[in-house]
Amino acid sequence: MSIVWRLLSRYRRVLILALALLVAFVLMTLQVRHDRAALSFARQAILFVVSPFIKVTAVTAGSLGRVWHDYVDLRALREENQRLQQESAILQRRISQLEEHALETQRLQGLLAMRETSRANYLAARIVGKDATNWFKTLLIDRGSQAGLRRNFPVVAPDGLVGRVIEVTPYTAKVQLITDPVSASGGLLQRTRVTGIVSGNLGAGLKVRYLPLLADVAVGDEVVTSGMGGVFPKGIPVGRVVAVERKSGALFQEAVLQPKVDLGRLEEVLILMEAEQRDGFEAGSRPQP
Amino acid sequence: MKLFVLGLLVCASVQAVLLGPVSLGGIRPDLFLLLVFLLSPRVSPEAATIQGFLVGLCQDALSGGPLGLRAFTYSVIGCATAWLSHDLLTEKPLAQFWLLLAGAAGAGVVTLALLVFFLGFSPLLPALGVVVPEALYTAVVGFLLLRVPQVRAALMRAI
Repeated sequence: MSIVWRLLSRYRRVLILALALLVAFVLMTLQVRHDRAALSFARQAILFVVSPFIKVTAVTAGSLGRVWHDYVDLRALREENQRLQQESAILQRRISQLEEHALETQRLQGLLAMRETSRANYLAARIVGKDATNWFKTLLIDRGSQAGLRRNFPVVAPDGLVGRVIEVTPYTAKVQLITDPVSASGGLLQRTRVTGIVSGNLGAGLKVRYLPLLADVAVGDEVVTSGMGGVFPKGIPVGRVVAVERKSGALFQEAVLQPKVDLGRLEEVLILMEAEQRDGFEAGSRPQP
Repeated sequence: MKLFVLGLLVCASVQAVLLGPVSLGGIRPDLFLLLVFLLSPRVSPEAATIQGFLVGLCQDALSGGPLGLRAFTYSVIGCATAWLSHDLLTEKPLAQFWLLLAGAAGAGVVTLALLVFFLGFSPLLPALGVVVPEALYTAVVGFLLLRVPQVRAALMRAI
């Protein structure tokens, strides 16, 4: 016993490192094998603890940003006389607030118009955080299971597809963007009705893979969701083809897409709720007003 | 322990919320990695390994990657940084920068190797598109953070 103890003490540094690496390796292996139940709980627990701090930081940063802009405005006006400076500062602040409100109203009107033109049930959410690494493309939104969100709910913006919900805590949820390197969804070229797999590509944007080699694919073609796979309803705009790649000897051709939605500038998104999704989209076309 | 928890929460919040405007071509500095770099020399290699594991786990939970990806990488980085802390301690600014760059690049290469193994990522494009710029950006930010005490002391002396 004492020998074992002595060996453990002597090599504890290596043992702890080996144990940490083993645990991490097993965790990754379980996920790759889609054994997600226990790990999903662990992930959600961490997210549940950390996400309130992220939300508070997002709110504080927004407030400080407004204060900072006010400060910058005031500094620019300091060269004028005191009375005009105060008057200008007040007006400037009002204008920037009104502009902010106008922009927000414009964005929300877009979201509302989308909600009203379809029979599907949408839930609006604000983006409070982005992926913690440069390897993956995810967003953290301020709605969770308390608002009815579940995994795999499609997330859209007025211009088109954004991604899908992959993790849900009571008050937040994580959204995997379509540009994420492990994201894949069915895509359909609107002009020629050819289907492929739309997937993210690390460092190279969005691509439609597995397009038949002889299929008619051209720059400018619009790509929408195909409805295959059971996650995204058919007909949501995904992007426009900006390049077609045909490698010699390859069995398929690929198309590089420009996403319809500017994913780097998103502030609000809509989540397509499951129950209404069936009513609104299963007919295989976009909902009619 | 308090410093670790506080650092972790601050890192998580700042990385997820505030680094968007300073991203260059979509690449942001990795504050979690800097946290491991900064905390590991203060503790034993065993504690640094566990700290690295927990920091990585937290980052994994906040990202779209598999749980354990960064935990694996940061366990190695934390242990190595604490183990070599006496050799790594230097006041020479250029040496500090190169050490940070080497560590960040090493972390990127380990992460990429795991992604290639588990998720079948192609190794070349991410190496050029993520590992190199992320390592450079992280090293620059880490270097500036390490300079803060000296700059503050110089300012105090000047005042």
